[in-house]
Amino acid sequence: MSVTTAVVLAAGEGTRLRPLTRNRPKPMLPAATRPILKHVLDALVDAGMERLVLVVGYRRRRVQEYFGPDYRTVPIEYVEQSKQLGSGHALLQAREAVSGPALVVNGDHLVEASAVSEVADAFATNDAGATVAVIEREDPRGYGAVTLSNGSLAEITEKPDTDEYRLINAGIYAFDETIFERIEATPRTDGELALTDTIARLVKRRRVGAVRVSGLWVDATYPWDLLSVTRAVLDQGHVAAPSHGDGVWIAESAHVDETAVLRPPVAVAADAEVGPGTVLGPAVAVGRNVTVGANATIERSLLDGDTRVGHGATLVDAVCGESVTVGVDVSVPGGPADVQVESQVFADRRLGAVLADRVEVGGAATLVPGALVGPGATVGTGVTVDGHIPEDGRVVR
Amino acid sequence: MCGIIGCVGRGEETLDTLVEGLSNLEYRGYDSAGVALVGEDGLSVSKAEGDLSALRERLDGREMAGRLGIGHTRWSTHGPPTDANAHPHTGCAGEVAVVHNGIIENYQSLRESLESRGHEFASDTDTEVVPHLVEDAIAGGEPPESAFRGAIDRIEGSYAIAAVVAGSERIFAARNDSPLVVGLGGDGDTPPQDGTAGPVFLASDVPAFREHTPHVLYLDDGEFATLDGGLAVTDTAGRAVNRGVETVEWDAEQTGKSGYDHFMLKEIHEQPWALRQCLSGRVDELRGAADIDLNLAPPPGVQFVAAGTSYHASLYGAELFRRAGVPAQAFLASEYATSTPPIRGDLVVGVTQSGETADTLSALRAADRRGAETLAVTNTVSSTADRECDHTLLIRSGPEIGVAATKTFAGQLTALNLLSLATVESQQDRRALLPALRDLPGDVQRILDDSRAEHVADTYQDAGAYFFIGRGFQFPVALEGALKLKEISYEHAEGFAAGELKHGPLALVTGDTPVFAIALGDDERAQKTVGNIKEVEARNAPVIAVTDGQNDAHLYADHVLEVPETDPRTGALLANVQLQLVAYHIANDLGRPIDKPRNLAKSVTVE
Repeated sequence: MSVTTAVVLAAGEGTRLRPLTRNRPKPMLPAATRPILKHVLDALVDAGMERLVLVVGYRRRRVQEYFGPDYRTVPIEYVEQSKQLGSGHALLQAREAVSGPALVVNGDHLVEASAVSEVADAFATNDAGATVAVIEREDPRGYGAVTLSNGSLAEITEKPDTDEYRLINAGIYAFDETIFERIEATPRTDGELALTDTIARLVKRRRVGAVRVSGLWVDATYPWDLLSVTRAVLDQGHVAAPSHGDGVWIAESAHVDETAVLRPPVAVAADAEVGPGTVLGPAVAVGRNVTVGANATIERSLLDGDTRVGHGATLVDAVCGESVTVGVDVSVPGGPADVQVESQVFADRRLGAVLADRVEVGGAATLVPGALVGPGATVGTGVTVDGHIPEDGRVVR
Repeated sequence: MCGIIGCVGRGEETLDTLVEGLSNLEYRGYDSAGVALVGEDGLSVSKAEGDLSALRERLDGREMAGRLGIGHTRWSTHGPPTDANAHPHTGCAGEVAVVHNGIIENYQSLRESLESRGHEFASDTDTEVVPHLVEDAIAGGEPPESAFRGAIDRIEGSYAIAAVVAGSERIFAARNDSPLVVGLGGDGDTPPQDGTAGPVFLASDVPAFREHTPHVLYLDDGEFATLDGGLAVTDTAGRAVNRGVETVEWDAEQTGKSGYDHFMLKEIHEQPWALRQCLSGRVDELRGAADIDLNLAPPPGVQFVAAGTSYHASLYGAELFRRAGVPAQAFLASEYATSTPPIRGDLVVGVTQSGETADTLSALRAADRRGAETLAVTNTVSSTADRECDHTLLIRSGPEIGVAATKTFAGQLTALNLLSLATVESQQDRRALLPALRDLPGDVQRILDDSRAEHVADTYQDAGAYFFIGRGFQFPVALEGALKLKEISYEHAEGFAAGELKHGPLALVTGDTPVFAIALGDDERAQKTVGNIKEVEARNAPVIAVTDGQNDAHLYADHVLEVPETDPRTGALLANVQLQLVAYHIANDLGRPIDKPRNLAKSVTVE
C-alpha cells in the first residue's frame, strides 16, 4: 500500500524551550530563517506526500495563519488536540481525517525528504502494518533506543541509562489504519498516551518494520539548541533564499548594504535590511523583515522575524525571538556559561543570551553569557543583565 | 450585485460545476440562486429563494442534465428575494434562459411594449425583459445569436448577462459596467488560444472557476462572448476582438477556511502576512526611501472617492496628505459621481477592494471625463478600476472572502501611507514613518497574540447600542469600528469624531451604551479625547479605551484594549485590529452568520 497522506504532530508547546514558546508552539520556532515545521513540510512534500493533516493545539492559530489551507499546493487539513495528552493521543485526533495508511512525523523535528521516502517505500513493500525509521546516534540516552532483527524492530527502550545502544527511533512512522485501535488499547501513563508505548506493544505482538535512515536529523530541546539547529540547516544549505556564492543566501527583497561583510554561512530572509559596515557570520540567520543597523557585529546568532538591532551592537551566540529590539551598542559577548532552566543548571553551554519575543534592550546594555530574558521584558540603557528576567520584567540601573 | 456563472464542455459534470461555482460566488449575494441547463430534452431551470443550500435541496433527487448551462446567485435590487424573482429568468415558452448582474434602467418601457405584444411576465425583475426580447426575435425568425445581440442593443444600464437558448449549444454573454471574465480550460500550464476546444467558463469573478483553470480573459464593456467548444469575442459591431489570455496566481485552495470557524477571523489573523505582502520590496528604511513603482508627480491636491470601509480608508488617506501639507478630501463615491466637485489639477484616487465597486467606478469616470489623473488603490489585478485608471497601487492582501472587510482595510491604510511617502512626505517624516510601517506586521501579531477583545465582547454583548470616538487618524477608525460592528452583529453602532459627541450624540449615551474611545500618544488630540472620555464616564457609560498607555485614557476606562506604542499613523491601523476582534466576538456571541451578513454583499457592482 502506498502512503500519500502525512500526519504531522504539531500541537505541543515544547515547554523546555520557554520562554521562546510564549506566543507559538515549538514547531513554529525558527531553524535558520524559517519555522522548523516548514522544513518538516518541505521534506514531506519533497517525498511525494499528496495530503497533509496537521494536528494543532497550543497556539494553533499561529500554525494555521502561517500555512493556510495548503503548502506548495498540497492541501492541509487541520485537526485540533485541545489538551496535549501525549503523541498517541495527538495522532488519535487525526482519525477522522485519515483513511487508509498514513505517514506520521513530529512537527518539531527536522528530517530529510529521503528518510521520509524510505519509510514510505519500506512500508509499501514490507507488509508489516507499521514501519519506523531508525537512525544511528553515538549517545542514545534521551531517545528511544532500538535494536533490530531481520529488518524488524526487536526492542524499543525509552531513555535508556546505558550507552550500549547505537540506533534510535527517528520519529518517522508509517501505519495502516489499525494504529488508531492500537492506540486506544494502550494503557495511559500518567493520563497520557505516548505513541512510543503503542509501538512498544506492537513490537511485542507483531512485526514492526524498521528502515535505517541517515542525513539531517536535528531538533531543539533547549533554547540554545536553536543555534546548533540553525548551523546544521545552514551547513546543509536548506535555505529558500537565492544563493550568493558559497554559503551566503540573500532574499531578493532584502537590502544588504554593499559595505556589509558576510562570513558564511549566512542567510538573510525577505525584506530584511542590513546597514553599512556590519559584519554578519559565521552561522548567522537574519529573519524576515529584520533590521540590522550600521557597524554591528553578529556571530553564531539567530535573529527571528521583525527584530531590530541598533548601530554598533555586538551579538555573539544570541537567540532573538520575534520583534526584539536591541539598542545601539548593546553587547552580547557570548561564550560558555552555566544556564539555569527552572531548577536545572546546564553547565558550560555556549550561549550569549536568549531574548524572547518583544524584548527591548536599551542602548549600551550588556548581557552576561547565559542570560535569559523573558517575553516583553525591558532592559534599561546601560544595564548589565545576568541570569533570568521574567516575562514583562523591567531592569533599570 | 449578483454572481453569474456559465460553462460549456464539462459533460456530465455541468450541473456540479455550476453549483460549485455559485458556492464560490456566494460572497456576491445569497438572496436566491438558480441554474439553467441545455440538454437534448431542451432547457431545464431550477431556482430557489434563500442561499445555495435551498437550491441544493431543490436539485436533490431531480434529474437535470445538459452539456452546458448558466447559474446565478442573487442580491436583490428589483423585487424581493422570492422563487419567482430568482434567476435564471425565461421567456413565455421556456426556450430562453437569462442570468444578469446589474440594473436595466429602461426595463419598464421594454416590459410594457412586450406586454402589449402578448408577453406575460412571471417576476418583478428588470432582468426578465431580456429573455422575452430574445424569444420575440427568435419567434420572428432570427437566429439565436443575432436575437441576443438585438436584445442587448435595446437595453440600457449596467449588465453582465449570459443567455442560453434551447436547441443551441452555445452560451451568449455581454457586458457593460458589470464584471465578466472568461476561463479557458484545456491541458497543461500554457494558456490555450482562442478557439481551441476544451471546457470554457464564464463568471462574475475568477474564484467561480479557479479550481478548473488559471487561464482567464477579462471582457471589456461593449464586448460579446460566444462560448461553444471554444470562445469567440466580438465588439458591438460584430468584429472579432483579440484579447490576451492572462494567468491568475491566486490559488483556489487559498480561499479555504484552514481551520478557522469563519473567514472573517481567518482574515483578521492573516493581517501580519497581508501587510508583509503590501510592504515587501517597497520600503528601504536604512536609506529612508519608499518605492511604489508609479510614475506620479507630487500632486497639488488629492480627492479620494470610495464607499463603505474603503471610504473610511479614504478619510484616513486624506488626513495623511493634509498633514504633509497637501490639500486633500475624501468623498463618498455615490455622491461624487452625481455631484462632482471642482477638480482643478488634483489627483483623484479611487479606493476599492474589488476594483468593481460601481459607485467608485462611476466617480472615477466622472473625474476622468473632466480630465483628471486617476489612481486606483485596489486588491484586484485586472479589475475594472485597475484597467480604467491611469495608475494602480495594489494592496496585495490576497483574496478576502468575508463580507466584512478586515485585512483589506489594513492593506488600504498601509498602501495609502506608501502613497504619501512616495509622493509628498518630507525626508524627516519618512524617517519616522518607515520604521513604524516595517514594525506593523509584528505589532499586529502582538495584538493577535494578547488581545482582550473577546473578554470585552463577552461583557458587552447585550448592550443597547455602541459608540466609537476618536480624533485625527483615529476618527476614521472610530467610524470603521462602528461599521464593522453594525455589519456583522446587526446591533446599533455609531462612530463620531470625539469632539462632536457633545454636540448631539451625547444625548444617546447612557449606562447601557458602551463607548469605545481611541486615544493614542499624548499629543493635544489624545488629551482632548481623554477629556471626552471623562464626559461619557460622567454619564455612567462603560468606557473601553483603545490606547497605547501614553496618555491618561486608561484611568477613566472600565476596560483597556492595548496597542503597541508607535507612530499615530500606523497606530490607527493597530487600534482597528482591536475593534475588528471586538466586532467579531460580539457577532459570534450573538450567533450571527458572520461571513454572510443579511442584505449585504462583498463587492457592490450596482449603483
